[in-house]
Amino acid sequence: MIELKNVTKIYHTQGGEQVDALLGIDLVIPSGSVVVLRGESGSGKSTLLSLIAALSKPTSGEVIVDERQISKLPDNFASIYRGENIGFVFQRYNLIPSLSVAENIIVPLIPHNLERKIIEEKLMRVMKLFSIEHKESAVVRNLSGGEQQRVAIARACVNDPKIILADEPTANLDAALSRNFLEILRVLKSQGKTIVIATHDPIFFDQDFVDAFYEVKKGRIV
Amino acid sequence: MNLYLLEYAFASLVRDRFKNIIIATIFALLVFILFSLLFIANSLKHEQEITLNELPDITVQKLRASRHYDIEESVADEILEIPGVTSSTGRVWGYYYFANGGVNFSIVGVDRFEEQYKKSLEKIIQKYDLACEDCSKMVVGSGVAEVMKGSYFKEYFNFIKPDGKVKRVEIAGLFTSDIALEANDMIVMGKEDARELFGLEASKVTDIVVKVANPNEVATIAAKIKQMHPDCRVITKDDLRVSYQNIFDYKSGLFLALFVVVFLAFFIIVYDKASLISSEEKREIGILKAVGWRIDDILKEKFYEALIVSLGAYFIGLLFALIFVYGLNAPLLSNIFSGYSQLKPLLKLPFVLDFQLFASVFFLSVPIYMAATIFPSWRVATMDSDDVMR
Repeated sequence: MIELKNVTKIYHTQGGEQVDALLGIDLVIPSGSVVVLRGESGSGKSTLLSLIAALSKPTSGEVIVDERQISKLPDNFASIYRGENIGFVFQRYNLIPSLSVAENIIVPLIPHNLERKIIEEKLMRVMKLFSIEHKESAVVRNLSGGEQQRVAIARACVNDPKIILADEPTANLDAALSRNFLEILRVLKSQGKTIVIATHDPIFFDQDFVDAFYEVKKGRIV
Repeated sequence: MNLYLLEYAFASLVRDRFKNIIIATIFALLVFILFSLLFIANSLKHEQEITLNELPDITVQKLRASRHYDIEESVADEILEIPGVTSSTGRVWGYYYFANGGVNFSIVGVDRFEEQYKKSLEKIIQKYDLACEDCSKMVVGSGVAEVMKGSYFKEYFNFIKPDGKVKRVEIAGLFTSDIALEANDMIVMGKEDARELFGLEASKVTDIVVKVANPNEVATIAAKIKQMHPDCRVITKDDLRVSYQNIFDYKSGLFLALFVVVFLAFFIIVYDKASLISSEEKREIGILKAVGWRIDDILKEKFYEALIVSLGAYFIGLLFALIFVYGLNAPLLSNIFSGYSQLKPLLKLPFVLDFQLFASVFFLSVPIYMAATIFPSWRVATMDSDDVMR
């Protein structure tokens, strides 16, 4: 279960301007559920995902995942937490463009120093799941947007994380690829993953597998 | 050890191969120049030390109008009577200008019945027979032989005496010595032949070399000789050592200037690397952290990258410097150092194994480069991944 208690995040721009990204957020996301955070660009959805992933720390308040206070984790522990629990699908995929599909997917496994055979098995499993095994050796920068997204999802799932966070996952996809992505989410939900999606794409709003919608506006859940 | 991190580091280097090849090439070039300079200086210093150790304790030279002039050989017998003096020998030596080669040869006259003041001369006398009733013989250094051969003198050489007449001297052999500086430009022949070549009277020698039993007595005995022969210049081994050192230090100054230039270039590259980390590299570090890499995983990977580049460049630079200095005899560079000697045609630099030198260049280059690579990555890695990726 993910719990956010009175979470505030304030940024300071390089010009010294204060940006209130999140203000007093209280949110509970049960394990195994699919939650959609909707709102306009700049509303604070991405910041909220970053806090759940421990990619940044809240200015105040608490982020608790499976009864573990993650908002105060030291940097290295935050990395371990992410490596074990979080699969993040970034809006712009955040793949390493010069690496191949397979190399990108196994990047999260490298620090674990697993046996090569296990790495191969994990790689094959996610590549098959997201139908990209035929692109295994292709360099990521040469792939289409849809293919890159599938690589990003495969990378997010290769560690078999409990929580999948997706930031504007369909922003760069056409209608057909977006529908395909929805099918992938169904599969992930069927595997018991907790999924949090930050989006303003209406395609998500009438999906039966979504358990809850939250509207984020000017840093608050309304 | 996590070999995947090493693999990733290697793959990263291959991905940016053009940039990394340029950096490694510059690095290797700087290491090569540093090693070349240090190898040459080290070899020459080594030779200088050997030469100094071979020097007599005291050298006595007659002066006329403040210029070095021939001295009566009987002075050697007078000096021998001073208590503490173990040997006193008159030397016949000088230079012969070889016009075809544009170089000077050092000619040393030896008498096999006299005590030799240098071990190398003793060896030559034992090995070669310079005695010949109707002819003259000489043993030459390898450099001399090369120069003579260039002018088609392979078995003998015709010297021109001060009276303009020609003196034919057979080449009895070629000698090598532990001291390349000396072996290279030296001709050893009978004392009488040398006298004839230099136009010296039979009772005269070039100078007198003195050996003293107790090194602490050298200054006292030198003072006594000066008192006995106020018209002579009395030079002790220490005086010569200072003189040699001054010349070497002067040359080392040039070396130091080159060293500074090379090092400055290295620091500019290092500074450039340290201060600039590309947005792509920053983003990659952010991504790695976002997918679960810890700061130390990132630093290890960057450490391996820097180690591969810097160690690779270090060994390539070292290898090329060894080939350049000891294989090719350091064309261009060796002239800076060897110019103080009378002649060094085709000087062969001796290899001196000095681990301190290897360590010095290693510690002056590899850790600095590694720090310059790892430090900016550490700065980025300690930032919030979210900020880095934004």
